[in-house]
Amino acid sequence: MSEKPTHPAEDDLVLHHYGEGEDGEALRVHLADCPACRAAFERVGRTLGAVEADEPPDPGPGYADRVWSRLQPRLAEPAARARPAGRVVLRRLAGTCVLAASLVGAFFLGRHAPRPDEAPAAGRERVLLVAVGTHLERSQVVLLELVNAEPGVSLDVSAERRSAEDLVAASRLYRQAATRTGEAGLARVLEELERLLVELANGPSELEPDDLQSLKRRIESQGVLFKVRVIGSQIREREKQAVTGPSGTDL
Amino acid sequence: MERMEESDADALAQARAGGSDGFRTLVERHGRALFRLAYRMTGNEHDAEDVVQEAFLKAFRRLDQYDERARFSSWLHRIAANCAYDLLRARRRRDESPWPEGPEGADAAADFPAGDPPPDRLVLSAEVRKRVTVAMSRMSAQERAAFVLRHFEGMSIAEIGQALDLEASAAKQSVLRAVRKVRQVLAPALGVAP
Repeated sequence: MSEKPTHPAEDDLVLHHYGEGEDGEALRVHLADCPACRAAFERVGRTLGAVEADEPPDPGPGYADRVWSRLQPRLAEPAARARPAGRVVLRRLAGTCVLAASLVGAFFLGRHAPRPDEAPAAGRERVLLVAVGTHLERSQVVLLELVNAEPGVSLDVSAERRSAEDLVAASRLYRQAATRTGEAGLARVLEELERLLVELANGPSELEPDDLQSLKRRIESQGVLFKVRVIGSQIREREKQAVTGPSGTDL
Repeated sequence: MERMEESDADALAQARAGGSDGFRTLVERHGRALFRLAYRMTGNEHDAEDVVQEAFLKAFRRLDQYDERARFSSWLHRIAANCAYDLLRARRRRDESPWPEGPEGADAAADFPAGDPPPDRLVLSAEVRKRVTVAMSRMSAQERAAFVLRHFEGMSIAEIGQALDLEASAAKQSVLRAVRKVRQVLAPALGVAP
């Protein structure tokens, strides 16, 4: 009985196109003998070749001079004091934890320092509420990506893992602040959230189907997303009250 | 290419000795290529120019770390790719997409159902460009970075992993996912099955 030919998967054809296949010689031989696979391989090449049509714009004459005139003054700056280039570095989120720390710090400083009137305290509380609300929303986005991931396939979670790393430290600070101020409900939800974030931050950058399923089950069985959503909407409600009048019930 | 690398070595030696003319020569020589890489990763000129600035600044500060056994242009491009990748990731965390969704707004991709017949040759090029933009907007930051480095920069999967600080398997999967998105959006315009 003759051996049934094994046709390469689409991904193998893509990797072969880029010269990355594991067994390039065997694939070349197969393509020479198999018109269907050869046609599929040509389709891959034609489609990827068409991407070249999307040429970047020409930055214009004198581009190097423009780059140099912006760059030269910065070359003399010590690295530690150097300004970030435009929005590139400004927009890094390494400041998440610093922001959380400063907000929590300002909040407690305000609570314990003598105050001439209540208005600044209300303002501080609102800023903290906004920050916690935003933190919960961002955490929710990370968890939703996991919960909505396609089952049965491995998932690259490196971006979620990095987000989780950022969120863990901030979450801890907000939880401590909530505990100190007697916001027991908020502290509990932040603690549950933190455990999941820590697990994600310390886990692999690619989750195998079983690991992903197990994580999804944990998120769903604990109802973390639901709790985050509920507490998030309560916080948003308190934000509004902090603007319009006295704050409502504790969480 | 070898001659260019040789002259890079001269300019590098000058820059390392503290001569700004040497570094300026490197900016003149590599600025446009870096802009093209940054534009492909970020999707707009403004961000691309910021990335080029940041990349040259980082390169200048790390000149002592450059290993002359590697090509200077490859080293520089890896730095630029990292700067652009940082920008894309930061954007993604804030749920901002740096890529335009296409001329029709957020639903531009809906203009391209899989069964569309290929358009007239005269408009094919514009159609393809539009679809490339849509495909890129559908990629995650990691997929886009990996795809640009593989497809346009010719980096191997292993090099992409090193450049983006990823496991090689993660880099490979990112490239493959990106290619699937490109094929899904682009193939109908070319009259080929995805």
